[in-house]
Amino acid sequence: MSDFRINRRQFTAGAAAGLAATTIGSQRAAAQAYGSNELIEAAKKEGKFVYYTADFTEPEQEVIKAFNKRFPFVKVEMVRAPGGQLITRIKTEAAAGKLLADAVNHSDRGLMQGIADLFQDYAPPNAKDYRDDVLVSPKLWPRATLGWAIAYNTELEKNPPKTWMDLCKPEYGPKKIGHVIGPSGGTTWTRIMFERQTFGEDYWKKQAATQPILYPSGAPASDSLVRGECSIAVLLYNICYIKKRDGAPVDIVFPSDGVPLNFYAAGVTKTAANPNAAKLFLNWCMSEEGQAMQIKELGYLTALKNPPLNPPGYDPKVIKTWAPNFDQYVKLRDSWIDEWNKTYGYRQ
Amino acid sequence: MSFGWLWPTALLVILTFLVIYPVSMLLLGALTNTNPVVDGFGVFDLSLTNFITVLGNPNVHLALANSMIACGGGTALAVVIGLMFSWVVVRTDTPCKRFIAAASMIPLFVPPLVAAVAWSILASPKTGLLNTLMAWAGITWRLDVYTMTGLIVIFGIYYAPYVYMFTASALRNMDPALEEAAEVAGAGALRILLTVTFPLIAPAIISGMLLSFVVMLGIYGIPAVLGAPGDIPVLTTYIFKLTNWSPPLYSTAASVAIILMVVTGFLVWLQQKVVSGRSYITVAGKAFRPGVMKLGAWRYFTLGLAVVYLVVVVVLPTLALIVAAFRKFLFIRNMESLFDTRQYSLIHFERLFDNPLAMRSIVNTMEVGFITALIGGVFAFAIGYTVNRTTVRGRGAINVISTIPVAIPGLVIGVAYLWAWIGLPGGLYGTIWILALAFIARFMPDTIKALSTSLLQIHRELEEASWICGKGLLGTIRTIVLPLARPGVIAAMTLLFILAIRELGSSLFLYTSNTMVMAVLLLDYYEGGNVGITSAFSLVQTVLLAVLIGIAHYLSRGGADTSGVGRAG
Repeated sequence: MSDFRINRRQFTAGAAAGLAATTIGSQRAAAQAYGSNELIEAAKKEGKFVYYTADFTEPEQEVIKAFNKRFPFVKVEMVRAPGGQLITRIKTEAAAGKLLADAVNHSDRGLMQGIADLFQDYAPPNAKDYRDDVLVSPKLWPRATLGWAIAYNTELEKNPPKTWMDLCKPEYGPKKIGHVIGPSGGTTWTRIMFERQTFGEDYWKKQAATQPILYPSGAPASDSLVRGECSIAVLLYNICYIKKRDGAPVDIVFPSDGVPLNFYAAGVTKTAANPNAAKLFLNWCMSEEGQAMQIKELGYLTALKNPPLNPPGYDPKVIKTWAPNFDQYVKLRDSWIDEWNKTYGYRQ
Repeated sequence: MSFGWLWPTALLVILTFLVIYPVSMLLLGALTNTNPVVDGFGVFDLSLTNFITVLGNPNVHLALANSMIACGGGTALAVVIGLMFSWVVVRTDTPCKRFIAAASMIPLFVPPLVAAVAWSILASPKTGLLNTLMAWAGITWRLDVYTMTGLIVIFGIYYAPYVYMFTASALRNMDPALEEAAEVAGAGALRILLTVTFPLIAPAIISGMLLSFVVMLGIYGIPAVLGAPGDIPVLTTYIFKLTNWSPPLYSTAASVAIILMVVTGFLVWLQQKVVSGRSYITVAGKAFRPGVMKLGAWRYFTLGLAVVYLVVVVVLPTLALIVAAFRKFLFIRNMESLFDTRQYSLIHFERLFDNPLAMRSIVNTMEVGFITALIGGVFAFAIGYTVNRTTVRGRGAINVISTIPVAIPGLVIGVAYLWAWIGLPGGLYGTIWILALAFIARFMPDTIKALSTSLLQIHRELEEASWICGKGLLGTIRTIVLPLARPGVIAAMTLLFILAIRELGSSLFLYTSNTMVMAVLLLDYYEGGNVGITSAFSLVQTVLLAVLIGIAHYLSRGGADTSGVGRAG
């Protein structure tokens, strides 16, 4: 078990130092990192943009706040909705000629690929620094990257599981482990796809034998973990990271036998009324400074080929990351989720 | 008496826009696999495939059965509680009746999600505060709110006010002549209550029962929070899952919603069949004051029941929310930890108000609430009066159409409103008016029902007397009907205001960045997994609602105080 403990003040001081280090440079260099002077001036003139996102409200507020520290003249008007509802809203608005969003950030690349024609050509200034294999369209970019981890309540669990295989051990059952259901969304589908492709067809069966508690999404699972309803939970690292950062009795382990990654897709719409402000925001989010802030403050990972830093406990030399093959991600989804539901006795 | 063709036609046109058009979109969605706005109206590949799939799915059967058991049980409990308190308040000499009357209505303004979160904090089997308390006291028995019994009890205690609202107003406006006759004939108090009083207010009981049942059927927050850990799926949680599927299965969700519509449609028909053909007029041209039963020492028992109810529905959940809102984290190992002051701070409130959306959502919600209550109240009165007090042609159709929205769950009708209204010229989409229109349409049946009970009780002879005296229709409404129905009208508008403020389902697709409302932001925080900030925002919302309802109650006091006496024209 890691003894790593930080309080909020130490954390903020560390983050500020880190950010300062990453932003050293002339004004000109900074401008190039986020876009041309013309773009910045145009964004200033627009003064705002409408941002649709499937990420949670709280971390998005922190990202917007950090962006506004650098560009205080752009007001971000956010609409947050769960993935399925957000796609329905975008499609319907677009069809009626009333798409209000200037920029969209979505957790499900499959769904975003289906509406790629609603987006204009866009690439951040540092596009070449990003992994090519995670792009589903040249217009859509991995603004956020999330990784799965094992979290546990430090008051209740003194010998936490450290690997995916540990999660199948009988000592972690019954009703000790909290799992987010397979059909919860794109991120969970990535996780169960990883489990089966990496550990074999009977992995789900072994894991289900520990009689885990099933949660409809990561939010109630993380809440239950903090409250002690379950003592271990398989969660996206960032969900628990903020709680740990704020002092909750939780700790998080990146499993040494693999970390499945989920890449968001973000872009600027063709019909954007404020395209420059939207681009400036995404440019900042995709910049090294923006990615470093999301890693340090929010516990995200990154799709940058050379990460500016890594979250605590994440050693890229040791930890094997895993990204789904996108074709399989689309094709296998329904049948494998059906099978997962049957194995875990989940009634869909 | 006839309005001519203009009046009912105007009402029907408005109802078509508010109800028929969005419901047609829903039906189209259920019968095809298209989004009518995206795919256009030319692609009509009608089939019953969605229905057949849904009807053959054992998980839908299970969700339907669970919904029926939870809402049926909840309704039974709500009737017992609501009827008991309305009788205690109106017809007994129990002390502190105003306090009991207020206590009986409080649960109505607790949003379902808030109530459920509070009760999960109180009575979750492993870490519930009440269970921690019992462990500390050495009691081995544990509460478990994540069960079907838990769902029934929470539904029952929080939806009792619907029954109370209808029955208290009916009891207050009741002519006691029949009760007095029974008393003279030698019947005992209980016998009078069961054979005279309750049968006389049967339409109010049935209306309250039906309304509470269908409202429970459409609730998402309570089964989402309490049903999920115990794996008790109900129809609304099932529908929510479908709308979040990847890609979203709105057509399947619409088919499930149609099943719900059939169930509630049947119940509405049953209610009307029971109520029609019998006269329930209790307010006529004769002055009276309903009698008050002297309970003796038992009046402290009835007061005690009210106090227990208040503790269970208000005090305990509010304490739970206060603990969660002020505590940094909700890990409470034991009683000592609960009272450890180092664990408490204002951090959740600071974060809440650090978000500019919080204040904006409060202002927007109030604005939408007032618009909905005012316009919706007037419109519901127009429909209620036309249906109940006139003989114009088309009133049957008006009655049926205005009842339809009661049967459609908010989560699904929300997307139907979006499909229906987004394409309208004039920039309705993106304003708070689209939310207000959706709320007016969605809660029209509830408002009309609340109003109709008052209207049904006013004898026609009072209006006839006014006409004989030379008053016109509008003059009669203004001087006779409105003053007599005033408590009902204000109650209906208050109900509409509360429902609009709490409404989540139909807001989800209609709000934009500028029109964010409290219910949506609350769900955002809940979905973000931060029970502290969710509780802090719940407390803010509860306090705001309590203040507003206090004001409404104060304003309606003049009407309510005189409502015990039916006045002659």
